[in-house]
Amino acid sequence: MTTIQELLKEIKNLKPIPAVANQLLAVVDNPDSSMGDIANVIQYDPVMTANILKTCNSTFFGLKNPAESIKDAVNMLGTDQVIELVLMKSGAKSLAGSQKGYGLERGDMWRYSVSSAVIAKQVAIKLSLKNKNTIFTSALVKDIGKIVLEKHVFRFSKKIQNLVKNKKFSFREAEKKILGVDHAELGAMIAKMWKFSPKMIKIIRHHHLSDETMIKDKEIAAVYLADCICMMVGEGVGSDGLAYRFKDQVMKELGVSADDITMIIAQFGVDMHQVEELLHIV
Amino acid sequence: MKQIVGVADMKVSKNPAESIVTYSLGSCIGLVIYDPAVKVGGILHYMLPDSSIDKDKAVARPYMFADSGIPRLFKAAYQLGAVKNRMKVYVAGGAEILDQKGFFNIGKRNYMALKKMFFKNNVMINNQNVGGNTNRTVRVEIATGDIYVKTSGSKEVKI
Repeated sequence: MTTIQELLKEIKNLKPIPAVANQLLAVVDNPDSSMGDIANVIQYDPVMTANILKTCNSTFFGLKNPAESIKDAVNMLGTDQVIELVLMKSGAKSLAGSQKGYGLERGDMWRYSVSSAVIAKQVAIKLSLKNKNTIFTSALVKDIGKIVLEKHVFRFSKKIQNLVKNKKFSFREAEKKILGVDHAELGAMIAKMWKFSPKMIKIIRHHHLSDETMIKDKEIAAVYLADCICMMVGEGVGSDGLAYRFKDQVMKELGVSADDITMIIAQFGVDMHQVEELLHIV
Repeated sequence: MKQIVGVADMKVSKNPAESIVTYSLGSCIGLVIYDPAVKVGGILHYMLPDSSIDKDKAVARPYMFADSGIPRLFKAAYQLGAVKNRMKVYVAGGAEILDQKGFFNIGKRNYMALKKMFFKNNVMINNQNVGGNTNRTVRVEIATGDIYVKTSGSKEVKI
């Protein structure tokens, strides 16, 4: 069995998500903060600023006049778009690799993460939830635990797959049983070490609703639902496939119908082409 | 040469140097058709059973839905010389999340929509790999009509 200490040591060796992402989230979820506050946080990081300006001035956005500062970019593209670009750029390095243990080729997990974040944002907008940016980011990084756990999943893949195929375990339950920890728990440990907000740590920890009482938390429920929808669509899904539990209670808690879900999937079918372009430019 | 069919997309071909592939079928369905007499084949990758939920999207992206996509796949193959009663039909996908029930089970509904249309139009399925909790990739070689399926983390197998 894998010891938690061993895993914690591996977490320490990970290259963390840039600090600017955390600072930005702290600002955007504060209702009193202004566009200027947001620009200030980003400007503080010169590499990120240069990166964002390059992306904003790419043909994808088709700006008439190039953005020369983060303030310009915020004015031209809107706060949400700029925030999303920063968050995506922050996550790309950590999540873009391959994760053999989960049967994920290079870029698969990143594609899944971005898709799932785009769907989570749609869910948040549809339900008029606050903290859209936290929901977007949590959905984007919720599987961060997989990047550490994958080697161990690979080593014990026969045992894990056996539980999933023959004993009706979900993939997360099988991870927990065989490795002593699942990717959601491990993800929360990483998030804590990287000083994510308590809210984000909680969403990552519970994104498969292993503790069903957490369904009452609308942000967790939204990220959970988006994850389920993303699994169904199938973009960047690995060998864990769709072997996670669907708790239909989530529909009641969020007040969404099966038709709403169908509409979200259809909308994603349209937005996907945009995801594809975003993946290229970020 | 590989022709890639995206999500909510369709491709047909009669170029023997080509193979057509579609990746990452979750609850979506990958419908493969092939006429061996003229060596014409195609794949449709649809996401949802019924276009009536959003008529505008069905016009903009007809391959997103079973009811608007399936007839278009067959018609596109007919235009390249394929004939309905010679057609080999293979279906993959329609996977489901654990404990997914009734109306929320998009995978099952996607498959049922196809079965219903085939029943009405006298189309037989020759082979299929549907349901379960796995994600699938499907490929057809135009020269031979050979079909290959791959689930994440496993090797590609010939049907």
